[in-house]
Amino acid sequence: MAMTKSQRRISYAAFRYLVLTFWLLVVAFPIFWMVSTSFKPDREWFAWPPVYISENATLQNYLAVWGDVTTHSVDEQTGEIKTYAQSLQRPWQALGNSALISVIATTLSVLFGSVLAYGVSRYQILSEGRMFQLLMLRMVPPIVLVAPISIWYSALGLLDTILGLVMLYFLTTLPYAVWMSKSFIDEVPREMEQAAEILGASRWRTIWEVVLPLVRSGLVATFLFILILTWSEYLLALLLSKAQIVTLPVELSKYQGSTEGRVYGRQAALSVGITLPLIVVGMIIRKHLARGFSFGMVRR
Amino acid sequence: MTADSTLPSDMAPQLNSRAATRAQGVRRFKWTVLSPLIALMVFILLPAFVLQGYFSFFSFSIFDAGDDTSFLSYFRASEWVGLDLWKDALTDDKFGFAIIRSLLFAVGVTVGCFVIGFALALLMYRPFRGQGFYYIFFILPMLTVPIVIAYTGEMILYQNGPLNDIIGMVTGTRSDAQFLYKQEVALTTIAAMEIWNWTPFSFIIMMAGLASLPKEPQEAAQILGASKWRIFWEVQLPLLRPVILLALILRFLESMAEFPKTWGLLQGGPGSATETIPVYIFITAWQFFDISYGAVLSYLVLFMMMAIVMSAIWLLRREKKSLDAMYETKPQEG
Repeated sequence: MAMTKSQRRISYAAFRYLVLTFWLLVVAFPIFWMVSTSFKPDREWFAWPPVYISENATLQNYLAVWGDVTTHSVDEQTGEIKTYAQSLQRPWQALGNSALISVIATTLSVLFGSVLAYGVSRYQILSEGRMFQLLMLRMVPPIVLVAPISIWYSALGLLDTILGLVMLYFLTTLPYAVWMSKSFIDEVPREMEQAAEILGASRWRTIWEVVLPLVRSGLVATFLFILILTWSEYLLALLLSKAQIVTLPVELSKYQGSTEGRVYGRQAALSVGITLPLIVVGMIIRKHLARGFSFGMVRR
Repeated sequence: MTADSTLPSDMAPQLNSRAATRAQGVRRFKWTVLSPLIALMVFILLPAFVLQGYFSFFSFSIFDAGDDTSFLSYFRASEWVGLDLWKDALTDDKFGFAIIRSLLFAVGVTVGCFVIGFALALLMYRPFRGQGFYYIFFILPMLTVPIVIAYTGEMILYQNGPLNDIIGMVTGTRSDAQFLYKQEVALTTIAAMEIWNWTPFSFIIMMAGLASLPKEPQEAAQILGASKWRIFWEVQLPLLRPVILLALILRFLESMAEFPKTWGLLQGGPGSATETIPVYIFITAWQFFDISYGAVLSYLVLFMMMAIVMSAIWLLRREKKSLDAMYETKPQEG
């Protein structure tokens, strides 16, 4: 009846692997499905029973979405030739926009955020209350202001511009940039700066040569963390762009409303392209992810 | 904002000239760093607030402006209606339902993410073979773009999709359940996707929280003969309270604002089953072009969210203070 200690340990380990593996499947399946669909020829997109791994894997979807190729297929029953035009889609342009907007906004956000964080950490230039108030920029849902902003933007000529989106991304990610980089800056012992100062280094030289090298990897983590947020933003990008500045998430949503009906393979091929950079980035900073939103609550 | 002392208080009495220049330098530094933030708030956010206020009292829809789409024409075409729109909004059933839906959605998602995330973290926070492997997989959903999840979700949930196939294989009968285009389940399905998407968030925070727990209290309790359950409930859980609150609050606020999945996939439908607050405001302002009514709704939601956010911030600050106090009494390590 009673299990010995080692039996209990073994059964706990088995239980753990069982639960974790179950969740692993839940997590991995949609990603697997996206990748697998992106390689399916169009007759398999809606096939029943569903095709899990295509035996006729093809690059057609990638070529149609990312390349400049118009593809067509022949419906097996009716003999009708279906052509998929490639042109509502300008994925490379969208990729360029997304990259430009998220990199510029993230750079600005981390630049000002980390300098501000340094000021807060060393000179308390913002009280803790203000630091928390800063979070409001992030916590209030953007939908409540986006209508008047779009009217105001149209007056300023900022609608459908890179600058317009960059400014809002800067504002909404700044709180995270400040809090996250502060968590790294707080870890740099003050004694090192004091030592440098005693040796006669100027303030800027101290920051540049003592503090910066120590927080560099932390700032990179902050940068990548915020890059994830700006890269996947959808609402503002959708509502503040009309035709020119289309980002990748908005580009993808155009397929959903396209008149050609559902084109799963194409959507999947585009989705893979959107997701891949983020997964790479996320893997690089996986150890630092918790800092992004722990606001000083997790001590180590 | 100007009264903030920039020096530690103990230095204030002995302000000699050097300290004074230093304080001045710090102040200059402060305003230089803050200037872009302040500029954006004054030139972008503030006018937006004012415009929103104006249009909530002057009725205006994009249609009123006709062909003239210049900025000033918006004002010429708008017409004073006083508090009418506000009264409409307060008696608007659809708006009421949208609020209820959003709250239910947010609570469900928050609890779902937290329970799964915390359970996984509890199973995983002590080192074991394969820990890194599982960790890498478990954070993946957070790194996939929400709109991508929405559309991939549709591919999986669609009637002849793999989920029905798998259900069929497990139960042995052909399943053709509708997960999306059915009023009763649509919101739950979206919530499930949201939970899938953001469980990593709760998981990561709880992992970090568990890993940072001091070992001594647990060891002490163990020596005193406390059972594992008691240690969990009476030692670990209280110490984790700040982290738990953080995980709950942030997730709740973010799911109140959820938009890509509800809109991207179902546009509020079927019927109005997924018309949450953001979707309802979006439909009002962008589909019916009713800028004024949208403005009133936005203001009401803004007030509501401000109240929630402010209490959330108050809670977080209180927790952080208690943490700071706890860590000050102990010598810092590493």
